[in-house]
Amino acid sequence: MRPVRIPQDRVGVAIGAEGKTKAMLQRMCGMKIDVDKEGNIMVHDEAESADPLMALKVCDVLKAIGRGFSPERASRLFKDDEYLEIVDLKQVVGTKANQLNRVRGRLIGSEGKTRRIIEDLTGVHMTVYGNTVALIGDSVSLPVAKEAVEMIINGSEHATVYHFLESQRPRLRISELGFDL
Amino acid sequence: MAAKWGVANIYASYNNIMITLTDITGAETITRATGGMVVKQAKDQASPYAAQRVAERVADVAKERDFVGIHVKVRAPGGNKSASPGPGAQAAIRALARAGMKIGRIEDVTPVPHDGTKKKGGRRGRRV
Repeated sequence: MRPVRIPQDRVGVAIGAEGKTKAMLQRMCGMKIDVDKEGNIMVHDEAESADPLMALKVCDVLKAIGRGFSPERASRLFKDDEYLEIVDLKQVVGTKANQLNRVRGRLIGSEGKTRRIIEDLTGVHMTVYGNTVALIGDSVSLPVAKEAVEMIINGSEHATVYHFLESQRPRLRISELGFDL
Repeated sequence: MAAKWGVANIYASYNNIMITLTDITGAETITRATGGMVVKQAKDQASPYAAQRVAERVADVAKERDFVGIHVKVRAPGGNKSASPGPGAQAAIRALARAGMKIGRIEDVTPVPHDGTKKKGGRRGRRV
């Protein structure tokens, strides 16, 4: 039995209309999932038939949903070599509400421009939810996206970050084609 | 002889990965492998690729010693540091399964404080 906690706001998303999302997740992992109103989730992996690795994956998917991803995007984590990375802004920025707001805004950009550019150039999925930034990507693109996010948090200008992402394009393309670096 | 099972203690931080294979009691270490043993650059020690190679090394020794299955204990740094295992943990378990080992129970053994010491970083947060 594996417990996961998600924010109350996201409980509805994890269950879905008439329990559709929950049913989909249960079908994909072959395990029973219990969700209560407060956001306590239990994944039941006691059954002999349960794939132990799948239990870890479904926990990651639920965590991703709790961090603001839509269930469709979070389902990407079921694939091999896709990982979830969560950056806690409070740890890097401090606890002042003004500063947190400022950094959140910088990460998203006006009308989501910055977030969209990071997603397009690296192929990761990114959300900014509460005091966390969450990224879903493969083992090559994820470190690049994380580096970009950290540059923005530490005060780099957006142009600098876009240049950095642009400079990493050839490397990412090579790995997309299936060659090892 | 009954099928022999072992325990793989996987310690996955953001900087490195360490797999210690022990017998079922945990008192006898069979083998140990770390990220630094399989990659050239220090920054790659925690990568999923390194984790895969480390797991393969462990699986080789395990097969030599006639282990058929492995229980897994995953551990993150814990304490006042990160409580979730690094990206290597999943890759390592997958590689163990790929190498033909049966995977038994997976347990999270990250040390969790019942309120301990203050996290490093100070009032203004971590500055890089």
